[in-house]
Amino acid sequence: MSALGRVAALGVAVVFFQIGAVSEVPVFGVNVDLSPLLVVFVGLLCGSMIGALSGFAVGLLVDLALLQTLGVSSLIFTLIGYWSGRLRELRDPQAALTPLLVGAGATAVSLVGYSLVEFMLGVDAPVSLELLRQIVLGVVVNSVAALPMWAIVRRALEGALPEDPRRRRRRRAYTTGGLSPLSRG
Amino acid sequence: MYDKTVRRRRALLILLVVLSLLLLTAYFGEAPSGRLHGVQRAFLTVVSPIQDGANKALKPVRDLFASIGDTFNAKGQRNELRKQVSRLRRQLVSDQAEKRTYRELLALYHVDQLGVGEYHPVTATVVGKSPSIWYATVNIDKGSSSGVRVNDPVVNDEGLVGKVAQVASDAAQVDLITDSTMGVSARIGSSRITGVVQPKLGAPNDLLLQYLPANTQATGGEYVVTSGTIAAGDESLYPPGIVIGQVSSMNEEGGYTSVNVRPAVNLHNLDVVQVLTAARGSRPARLAGTLATLPSGQGSSSTTAPGEQLASTGAGG
Repeated sequence: MSALGRVAALGVAVVFFQIGAVSEVPVFGVNVDLSPLLVVFVGLLCGSMIGALSGFAVGLLVDLALLQTLGVSSLIFTLIGYWSGRLRELRDPQAALTPLLVGAGATAVSLVGYSLVEFMLGVDAPVSLELLRQIVLGVVVNSVAALPMWAIVRRALEGALPEDPRRRRRRRAYTTGGLSPLSRG
Repeated sequence: MYDKTVRRRRALLILLVVLSLLLLTAYFGEAPSGRLHGVQRAFLTVVSPIQDGANKALKPVRDLFASIGDTFNAKGQRNELRKQVSRLRRQLVSDQAEKRTYRELLALYHVDQLGVGEYHPVTATVVGKSPSIWYATVNIDKGSSSGVRVNDPVVNDEGLVGKVAQVASDAAQVDLITDSTMGVSARIGSSRITGVVQPKLGAPNDLLLQYLPANTQATGGEYVVTSGTIAAGDESLYPPGIVIGQVSSMNEEGGYTSVNVRPAVNLHNLDVVQVLTAARGSRPARLAGTLATLPSGQGSSSTTAPGEQLASTGAGG
């Protein structure tokens, strides 16, 4: 199956798992939200174009399935998917904590983005400590879920990635003996 | 080649962002009966069986995680419940006598009262819940084919859950009492003073009983119930006496009193609920019908503007 096919299947499975199970189990009063994690990791593995496309599709699916305002999740997830894809294309971070940090960043962008859009749409809710607490807790809880989610997304897309960063690193190590041409020289 | 890739990437991003903004604008601007809302309802009808299946298949997983959380809270809850049982036992004795007197008074003065008997409860399973703190809604597996209509009250064994916001043929969306569009006319325990219960702004899991007279008194732990008042311009959608929550504290500001209310229903762990549907022509059905015909934002729209919120409260309570 192609990368897009796998991303589509993974997106549908994660969104229904989120709606049917994960949203029903609060952790410290907030819910784990797997959708931004899925989008950010797809972008990180597949690049900015697939990241943005998957962000739009997952957002649309979430908004349709939950009867939310159409377009809000799509807009935020598109930007998250594109941003993580660009991160891969420009920096290709390989540190072990990258998924955790990127997952936390995506969750923060998602929660703050939602808040901004909702304020702009006129939802009557002033910024309060309770709201900030919910956002911070949401980021913390999602960060914990980021590592297993990263493993799942990576496993599901393994072999179908346009250019697997691991494969590229292995190839580089093989051709340069693990060193950059500059240091070799 | 590089330029072409960059151009294509940027064009895709711009296209998707513009598409999202168009969707958002069109959806926000249209009435609940509009085309995009219709597409959403049709989608819900299609995916409702899948959601239902996923919900049943994932119940063991959900229960496992829920039971871990419950174990942490069990001891505190047990002690609290023991105190509550002894208090309620004392209260029951006095309430039985009051109930008898109340019935006699009702008969005597022919008070027009909306009873639960006028409703036909339809049991439904919660099949989906929004993870966002901005959308206090759940999806249920019963819709118009089971007699569910927009604005029908939704309850469970713990108390008031919310009201039906949108209906598809085999599914419906329920606005929880913590949703920013909700407003329920209510009273504290045995008092006759009524106010409006609304979500506490900035605290998505708490409620606030507002518009109370300055001299209102309430003690912590007292129950807040639906008022079910029937009077010109103040008709309630909800049957009287349904528990909404318990008083946690009071606030007094500029001559107005408001009461912080802790919801009775565990809105994070909803499984089975009952939709109180009403027969055609009955008072509850007429009330729900009137509310459904109100312009967008005053009845059941999830996109109520701040200025419309009070109108929604008056009509929805």
